[in-house]
Amino acid sequence: MKAGRPLLVLGAGIAGITAALEAAEAGAEVVLVEREPSIGGRVVRSRSYFPKMCPPSCGMEINIRRLEANQRVRVITSARVTAAEPTAGGWQVTLTVGPAFVNRRCTACGDCEAACVTKVLDPFNLGMKQVKAIRLPHLHAWPRRFTFDRAACPDDEARAIAAACRYGAIDLDATATTESLEVGAVVIATGWTPYPLDRLPELGGGLPDVIANVEMERLAAPDGPTAGRIVRPSDGQPPARVAFVQCAGSRDVNHLPYCSGVCCLASLKQASYVKDQLPGAEVTIYYIDRRTPGRNEDVLLQVAAMEGVRLVKGKVGRTEQRNRALALRVEDVEAGRVIDAEADLVVLATGMVPSGADDDLALFTRKDEDGFSLDDPAGRVVAAGVARRPEDVASSVRDATGAAARALAAARARP
Amino acid sequence: MSSIPVVQPSSKFREAFAKRGGAAAARCYQCAACSSVCELAPAAAPFPRRQVLWAQWGLVDRLAADPGPWLCHQCNDCSLRCPRDVAPGDLMAAVRGMVVECLAFPRAFGRLVANARTTWPLLLLGPLLFWVLLLGATGRLVLPAADPQLGGLEGRFHYQDVVPHALIYAVYVTATAWVAVALWVSGRRYWRLLGAGAARHGSFLANLFPVLGDIATHARFKECGRGVPRRRWGHFLLMWGFVGAAATSGFAILYLYGGTPIFDWLGLGHGYPLPLDHWVKWLGNLSAVLLVLGGTLLYANRLAVGDRLVGATTGSDRFLLYTVIGVVVTGVLTEAFRFVALPMAAAWLVYVLHLGIVLTLFLTLPYSKLAHVVYRTLAMVHERMSGLTTG
Amino acid sequence: MDRVGVILCGGCGIGDAVDLDAVAAAAAAAGAAATLVHPCCCAADGLEAIRAAVAAHALDGIVVAACSERAKRQELASLGFDPAGMWRVALREHCAWSHPAGDEDTRMLAEDLVRMGLARMRGCRPIVPVAAAVSDTVLVVGGGRAGLEAARVAAGLGHPVVLVEKGEALGGRLAAQRSVVPEEPPYDRPHPNPIPGLIAEVTSCSDITVLPSTTIGAITGQPGRFAVRLDGPPATELTVGAIIQATGARPYDAHALGHLGYGASPDVITSEQLEVMLLAGAVVCPSSGAQPGRVLFIQCAGSRDDQHLRYCSSECCATTLRQAHELRAIDPKSEIVIVYRDLRAPGQLEHLFAGVQDMAGAMMARGDVDRVRVDGRLSVELSNSLLGEHAAVEADLVVLAVGMVPTAADGELIRRLHDARHQAEHAESAQARADAGRLAGELSRHQGTEILNLGYRQGPDLPALRYSFPDSHFICFPYETRRTGIYAAGTVRAPMGSAQAAEDGAGAAMKAVQCIEMAKRGEAVHPRAGDCAWPEFFLQRCTQCKRCTEECPFGTLDEDAKGTPELRELRCRRCGICMGSCPERIISFQDYSVQMVADMIKAIEVPEDLEGKPRILALMCENDAVPALDAAAANGATWNPWVRVIPIRCLGSTNVIWIAEALSRGVDGVILIGCKYGDDYQCHFIRGSELASTRLDNVGETLQRLALEPERIKLVELSHDEFDRIPLVLDEFAASLEALGPNPMKGF
Repeated sequence: MKAGRPLLVLGAGIAGITAALEAAEAGAEVVLVEREPSIGGRVVRSRSYFPKMCPPSCGMEINIRRLEANQRVRVITSARVTAAEPTAGGWQVTLTVGPAFVNRRCTACGDCEAACVTKVLDPFNLGMKQVKAIRLPHLHAWPRRFTFDRAACPDDEARAIAAACRYGAIDLDATATTESLEVGAVVIATGWTPYPLDRLPELGGGLPDVIANVEMERLAAPDGPTAGRIVRPSDGQPPARVAFVQCAGSRDVNHLPYCSGVCCLASLKQASYVKDQLPGAEVTIYYIDRRTPGRNEDVLLQVAAMEGVRLVKGKVGRTEQRNRALALRVEDVEAGRVIDAEADLVVLATGMVPSGADDDLALFTRKDEDGFSLDDPAGRVVAAGVARRPEDVASSVRDATGAAARALAAARARP
Repeated sequence: MSSIPVVQPSSKFREAFAKRGGAAAARCYQCAACSSVCELAPAAAPFPRRQVLWAQWGLVDRLAADPGPWLCHQCNDCSLRCPRDVAPGDLMAAVRGMVVECLAFPRAFGRLVANARTTWPLLLLGPLLFWVLLLGATGRLVLPAADPQLGGLEGRFHYQDVVPHALIYAVYVTATAWVAVALWVSGRRYWRLLGAGAARHGSFLANLFPVLGDIATHARFKECGRGVPRRRWGHFLLMWGFVGAAATSGFAILYLYGGTPIFDWLGLGHGYPLPLDHWVKWLGNLSAVLLVLGGTLLYANRLAVGDRLVGATTGSDRFLLYTVIGVVVTGVLTEAFRFVALPMAAAWLVYVLHLGIVLTLFLTLPYSKLAHVVYRTLAMVHERMSGLTTG
Repeated sequence: MDRVGVILCGGCGIGDAVDLDAVAAAAAAAGAAATLVHPCCCAADGLEAIRAAVAAHALDGIVVAACSERAKRQELASLGFDPAGMWRVALREHCAWSHPAGDEDTRMLAEDLVRMGLARMRGCRPIVPVAAAVSDTVLVVGGGRAGLEAARVAAGLGHPVVLVEKGEALGGRLAAQRSVVPEEPPYDRPHPNPIPGLIAEVTSCSDITVLPSTTIGAITGQPGRFAVRLDGPPATELTVGAIIQATGARPYDAHALGHLGYGASPDVITSEQLEVMLLAGAVVCPSSGAQPGRVLFIQCAGSRDDQHLRYCSSECCATTLRQAHELRAIDPKSEIVIVYRDLRAPGQLEHLFAGVQDMAGAMMARGDVDRVRVDGRLSVELSNSLLGEHAAVEADLVVLAVGMVPTAADGELIRRLHDARHQAEHAESAQARADAGRLAGELSRHQGTEILNLGYRQGPDLPALRYSFPDSHFICFPYETRRTGIYAAGTVRAPMGSAQAAEDGAGAAMKAVQCIEMAKRGEAVHPRAGDCAWPEFFLQRCTQCKRCTEECPFGTLDEDAKGTPELRELRCRRCGICMGSCPERIISFQDYSVQMVADMIKAIEVPEDLEGKPRILALMCENDAVPALDAAAANGATWNPWVRVIPIRCLGSTNVIWIAEALSRGVDGVILIGCKYGDDYQCHFIRGSELASTRLDNVGETLQRLALEPERIKLVELSHDEFDRIPLVLDEFAASLEALGPNPMKGF
């Protein structure tokens, strides 16, 4: 395939990585831009994938090998597109990169971390844990390079940290750089952010033991804030009763009018985390419709059959703190009764908000009213993954591969 | 044949219901957020989720035989939280309206009031015309003359000269009786339907008194979601306003017909016309004040809580509202004209208007929102007797 | 390689933990052509020093003993060695970070690791990529939406396309549809069917050859040069580079749904039949020809049902919602009832659902359908419905939303059927013939399902996973089938709606084009993308045991009449499973062979005295187990210093000779750590760890011959994220060996 102007892929989550790799292995030049210091977006923050319950890092291992083996992909982390102009043959974009306080010389040996005392909330663990201001973003981070929260550190400490590095990898005077690129087409794979808990006070958003599904993924993850132990944030005790509240903000004109597509399966999966780790725990999932399409139906069958797991049709109306426990008020629709249930840990299955929703960058040529990006082959912009529609990992990978092809085809088309 | 009951959707009802502002019911996907947020829903028979489903399907029988719509005090929390903007609170109001219409005695009247949006001229002018004709027939189409013997708090003339008390009471006692009959018949119909829906235990009276106590104090209202306490006090004052007004009339009649000796013996006596400082007058005026205060509070509440908590207002609701306002305004003016030196014609006109609009209020009462006095009371008694009461 | 140098990095604390000069000396003693110790190999001066050493000593290969090969790959790649020229020893993770500094055991470990690397490098031979003429043409099988989109996109990427459709017309199931579910705003109503436009675009495209009424006679060869014989007017032969199977799904056979009244009443129809009426513009009751007063849809007809399809067919809910919209458009009066269990309208389809609810006369009923009575007016009996525990709803027309069944059957089963049929006739013993006959009976339902007619030793069609959907890693790598260069797309791959099928077609086109481009470069495709080494067979010693041709998960090897393997290099994914299966050890990659690993094992110094230190060989999958071990080290974990880790491509490449070799040399135990297997396998080569475990079962008698306890060999399944568990696994194994006592073979 003729290598023309490179393909720009916005966002290095699973969709972006896939689009970039599939295009590059087919011979295209690709620039993959990621805001965070390491790639992997949401998937690397998950404990496992449904329906196989396998770790995301397993597939990422292969994708990272593919990235490193491929000279045609250029990955730029800690970067964002700050300007974009359509041109006759594609787009002229401006990237703002860094500042890279830690450069490529970093060997991830950890000497700097030892010299660092300042702690910050860990963005990888969604702020559920404190970490050093200079650290490896996470255990499987790629690029395998430390990241430095420079602003959090007093100057003298920062100097001590820099001095601790034997390889001259820390540059305290680093500044953000800009770079201008001419690209042939763009794949928007900017992914999603979880719907904020504080918008759901009636469901208990804000109470210590009411967490979001994304936080549950971290709680259950071996490299998470509790080393994989599922516990109540308030007292660190394992919960005896766990309640999952489905459609927390989704399918709701007051919040997100659309269905986020993955929350049912995420909760079923997380119910199995709980049962694997705390076999005696009672798990209840309160749902409107159980949406487990395709072979994912197996997950529903497996989890529903587990002893101590109940699925109750009914949207929770209220979650309140009652002494040490949480009280949920909900109508069990099938029984036609309002039940007053108690739980030690409540997981709100919050939905997906497209990250590009409020982004007014010119690259977002077409969006629907909920902020999901739409394909615009004529504009040489194609959307992939959750930037396009709420969907699971398998679907994101599927349509990101197609998006790569459609974008390359668009780039080949005559202006 | 199969013993399984066949569900018979009524498209006719669905259409009628949609016209009543129930169209949004179709959007409901039965998540039950509404029943889950409702503070008043009995755990064993929650509302309004099921009622919305029945409305979707047009299962009018189930709706009519259900206490839910009347146990609802319409705080509209459900409407606020409904993910599909179905406004279940308004749907429950619409259901109540349709139940009142369906169980009305006679049905034609029910339909007449239900469609007040179009029939209001008839409803207002009918009774007025009746009075004018009645006065004409009894040769009393004359203006009252000032009475020199009267003075001070006794005003300047006798309304009695315009319309003799006998005539007034003849008309209103009959009307009241009619109202009682109409409510009684509808109430019986509803009570039977409720009975078919669930087994009841205990005696009616034994359960009625606690319910009346609840109503008298508006205890139930305390539990009802947002808008409390403004809504509670507003409704509370309105209710006692009406009770006071009724009592005033009652005493007045008693006073006129043989009641006087008793009042004299009690040292309350005084011949007609009653002076403004007479306790019956006090009672009447106090009631008016309560009505005005209550109305104002409720109105303030509507302004305060915002549209979604206010809910929709139907034509018949609006008619009732204006009628009550009419009664109060004309009533107060009537009294005022006894003292203010204005052309007698004005006083006469206001007085006849007052009599007419009061009659309208009486005659429409069993078919208007006010019928909830009976339906809600029965529903609450049924709730106790069938053991649905919320824990 | 003859002149292998050893590069020792002192960075990241390695130098502090290990006496590198001693290690260098050991390496020299083991035959290193040169040694270099540098404080930081990945830094510019480090790389420069390495280049200088390579030049000075004319090295043709190097062992870099530094960090794990998973770190600093790009820096070291800049040295310009291919995989056969450089081997990296994880001195940092597997020694310095995980074992006490300055300890004697730590030094012995370091020396062993370096000697093992050296031994391996010396076995490597230069890699000469496979070079052959490659066809740019993409063959698309199936003219439905997925196939059409695949053809359109592949042509858009500059590749000639041949589109084969067995029917007379293009469009597949969508051709009979007026509209499709919304793919863009507005989402609350159906959108016009894109198929006519797509057909026009495809048929008018000069790069696309459309062949209707054509089926596939046979496909042989390999990616880049598949030889295809087409049966159709006219029969043709052509060469294509890659193949996309987009043969779609068929509706589940409603005749199996008697309890829903299908067949018992003409007024119980399937969504397919309703589609025809909608297209014609008139929906009537077949029995009377009258307009139905009430149309009732039954969802999950045959799906989510143990008796029928266990899976959810995904698109039936959306289809019913769309059909309800269409029905309302042509017939404003009739009532529409939809009976569902869970209304599955994910994402923006929620708006389509709301759109149906907004239609006058539409009613939704959640419940399970017990049966449909056909005496008198149709009556649908529900249980668990919200209308009451048991309730019946009458209707004039009942529409069954039937699910979808993939057109692909499991090609391996088809082959077993063919083999069984052959055996049933030709087997020697009557018993064998009877058994074969019985098996043939069980498998007979697969008869006549051949589509691709691959001339592969392992069967005529794509192997399938659960529910006959042909793929291998449907989460991370959804297009990967187990036949290199052949990609499944659309509803044949998984139940999906038409929008997803279109995206699937585009994705498969991407993979097909990619496969062709990689074939041109002689590169392996996923998961070892870019690997240019390939397996060589020393056929003189082949015994035609057929293990390799049977066990290759990707059907790489064909057989000649005698059963001798015939290699199709470009089908190969370079996992080495054939290499592990071969009892004669005649299969070798230029950079990975049985001999190389055997030499690594030989390079382990086993203290000979029985009181001496035990030694443990750990064969670890480089995709999951080794990364987990690296992460453990990075996390500060330590483990038993007697363990000697050899990363291998896949546990499936384990040749039992390695175990025999280790034990006979006095190694006390061998542990194999690889991916989880079974239904939810995590092996990137599908069956590697599973095959390894079956091979281990057969090692039993070897052990008895050596008079050794079976506990000395262990296979552990481990996930990539189990960094916290892997050190415990190693320590526990070491402890169990200590309990067993030393390997009696020591010193012999």
